[in-house]
Amino acid sequence: MEKTSDGKFIVPIGAQHPALKEPGHFEFAVEGEIVVGASVRLGYVHRGIEKGCENRNWIQAMYLTERVCGICSHIHATAFALATEKLAGVEVPARAQAIRVLISELERIHSHMLWLGVAAHEGGFDTLFMYSWRDRETVMDLLEAVTGNRVNYSANVIGGVKFDISPEQKETILKGIEFLEERSQHYMEVVTTDETFTGRTRGIGTMPYDDAIRLGAAGPTLRASGVARDVRTDSPYAGYKLFPVNIITDTAGDLDARFIVRIKELFESYRLVREILDNLPEGELSIRVPRRIPAGEAIQRVEAPRGELFYFVQSEGGENPSRVKIRTPSLLNWASITNFAPGHKLADMPMILAGIDPCFSCNDRMITVRDVRTGQVSNLEDLKIR
Amino acid sequence: METTQMLESIEKVLKPFAQSFNRPSAERLDAVVKAEDLKAAVKAMVDAKWLYLSTITGLDIPAPADQPDAEGHIEALYHFCEGEAIATLRVSVPYSHPVFPSVCEFMPSATLGERELMEMFGVVVENTPSNERLVLPEDWPQGVYPLRKSFTGLNKG
Amino acid sequence: MNNLTVPPLLALLVFPGGLFLLASGLVYEFVDRKLIARFQNRQGPRWFQPLADVVKLLAKEEITPSGASRGLFIILPVIALTAALTAALYVPLAGFAPSFSFRGDVVVTLYLLSAMTLCLGLAGANTADRFSLIGATRTLTQLFSYEAPFLLALLGPAIAAGSWQISEINTYASGQWWMIITQPIGFLIAMVGLMGKLELPPFDAPEAETEIVAGALTEYSGRGFALFRLGKDVELVIGLTLIAAFYMGGLANPLDFLWKTLVLLLVAAGLQSLFARLRIDQTVGMWWRIGALLGLVQLLAILVGRFAGPWITGLF
Repeated sequence: MEKTSDGKFIVPIGAQHPALKEPGHFEFAVEGEIVVGASVRLGYVHRGIEKGCENRNWIQAMYLTERVCGICSHIHATAFALATEKLAGVEVPARAQAIRVLISELERIHSHMLWLGVAAHEGGFDTLFMYSWRDRETVMDLLEAVTGNRVNYSANVIGGVKFDISPEQKETILKGIEFLEERSQHYMEVVTTDETFTGRTRGIGTMPYDDAIRLGAAGPTLRASGVARDVRTDSPYAGYKLFPVNIITDTAGDLDARFIVRIKELFESYRLVREILDNLPEGELSIRVPRRIPAGEAIQRVEAPRGELFYFVQSEGGENPSRVKIRTPSLLNWASITNFAPGHKLADMPMILAGIDPCFSCNDRMITVRDVRTGQVSNLEDLKIR
Repeated sequence: METTQMLESIEKVLKPFAQSFNRPSAERLDAVVKAEDLKAAVKAMVDAKWLYLSTITGLDIPAPADQPDAEGHIEALYHFCEGEAIATLRVSVPYSHPVFPSVCEFMPSATLGERELMEMFGVVVENTPSNERLVLPEDWPQGVYPLRKSFTGLNKG
Repeated sequence: MNNLTVPPLLALLVFPGGLFLLASGLVYEFVDRKLIARFQNRQGPRWFQPLADVVKLLAKEEITPSGASRGLFIILPVIALTAALTAALYVPLAGFAPSFSFRGDVVVTLYLLSAMTLCLGLAGANTADRFSLIGATRTLTQLFSYEAPFLLALLGPAIAAGSWQISEINTYASGQWWMIITQPIGFLIAMVGLMGKLELPPFDAPEAETEIVAGALTEYSGRGFALFRLGKDVELVIGLTLIAAFYMGGLANPLDFLWKTLVLLLVAAGLQSLFARLRIDQTVGMWWRIGALLGLVQLLAILVGRFAGPWITGLF
């Protein structure tokens, strides 16, 4: 057993750990139940995908970016497509942009519901976990009805979208949204009034406004601390110029606030989906884009369910991109954990981790190396035995 | 403040440190900065309340095929975002002396980007708080930089 | 009330203790899991799942972690299960009269039930693993917190009956109004206390899967794990039997036993589904503040009723 010289010992959470269904690793130095140090070794989206894009043509590269993440696949492909369309200097038809946004919002709904279940499970609240995942099946079915797949929808082409929304699909979606909205009301109630739940979330993992900015947090985690930053409103892209979004914030900055912000965002997404379906612009589904994209550099920022996703795409005029840089939102949120984790109890760690909605496939692999205080290093071999 | 106004005012702020400016699109400003001026430029941005460093992009620019005597460069782009505006500091260093100063003193969140630059492109970032591997495994060979154009795969024997 | 009796040896080995008890432990585990699943809108396991689990575990290879005392590692699950099975001799299991009955046996029974928790804690401490250590600490901490109120809650009916012998309390209870009505606080504490003893949610901090893998039993697999699990199942049955006997008007016969314990199981399953897991400090805080206090209040009420009651009525 690993013991530091002053009697603390290190509790790893990950890489093989039942809490984290994807590979990820944090190490917490504990004295009894209190966490006194936290360190995280950050993984990345890299997995060879950025390099892989350089060896593939533009269309193949887009499919590759979609596989960065299963939960936020569409937003990755959308960002890449938008950046490429900027380089090509084409104007994507309004209908296509609107459909892109529609699917993005459905994806956001799916992601937030998934997260709700996982976070509840981390807190030992399995009933909430089961219910929210049961309801999530509804949005998965909707996505399957429109795109043909439950994840990795492949809805984009460079220049537009592949699928249209028929009137029957519109009705199905509206019905599904109505059901989900009713369920979300219920979850909002649970999250704000259930005593055992709020006992695990109020006042836990608090990140004040200034720290949130200084640490560079993103997405709902950032907005729960009162910072009104959302790429969809700050820098509207695709259909968001036609269908604006209201920023949801909360002032408490604790774990409960993060729950509340995400559930409120669900309601905002429902509103958006209805608005888009009622006002879908007429037009083509895509515009033709040349095989060789003109030389240049483009930056595209989008709001993934977890926060700002940043794409930098460079072309040298060829059939392949010459550089694709992807910076996912979860990366920004890791740093905040090491800051506000110490002082909390070990039992709060999984929920705090879940609170930032970490997307591990966006961050590949993580192996903890060092305890913040004692400088003790555990190498991979040690951790494998555990 | 409107985007164009923001970019104009930050251009003024960066004037003493930048060698040249470019506007690749309506919301973007590129400022070419020398490595030795990087820290001052970042400090100026932070003082001007541009507090969000979205990420650092690394670019590998090998010597052109028809000029074998010329030297390759590594370029790092520091992207600062404020609302819709994106102000990018572009810093370029040659292969022979690939050294950047760390900007973590003013922008602590830069450490992740600096670690990536170091392990993927083989640059040296002076005074960076952490030079642990970010994403490459422990047993990745030293001196092999995957994001350089010259890297085409690890041939395991 | 005259319960049927069973020869002691038969009771110990086969019925209603021994094999029958083990089997009913599995059945009750199934009912519990099925109820929770239905509450969570899931299908839940099939009836033979707990049996299948035990069979599978017994067939698995047992790995003793290095650094643990091998003897202790092996013997602790055996002691735990033995203690639980022995406790069955003193309770009116399946509505039959306890095989052995003597004055003060309620204390002995409670001790035997706690012995299992102690074995759990020791097992965790013995395994030199950071997860088990935290789990063991939490198990023992939880033991110290619910034990006092739980004891008080079970002593309430004992005081009302004027006896420390379970069979007598059983007889007394069947001749009274159900004590769930006359001592509602005691019932509540006893019920919730049982959940704490069995480390059922929301008191499952000692084995919180998402935090410390499996707590004290992290390194156990195969036979040892099967024995611990059986021990917990047996405790579930015995605990329910005790509470039903004390608070729901005694257990007169097998049918009586069946429906009363199953009703209690339904309540327990409901409580398990309703709440998020309590942190260990919240558990301890809750028990020492609310639990102990309520327990004392209930005790006071009983004492007043018992001693002052006749005096008061004698005034008129």
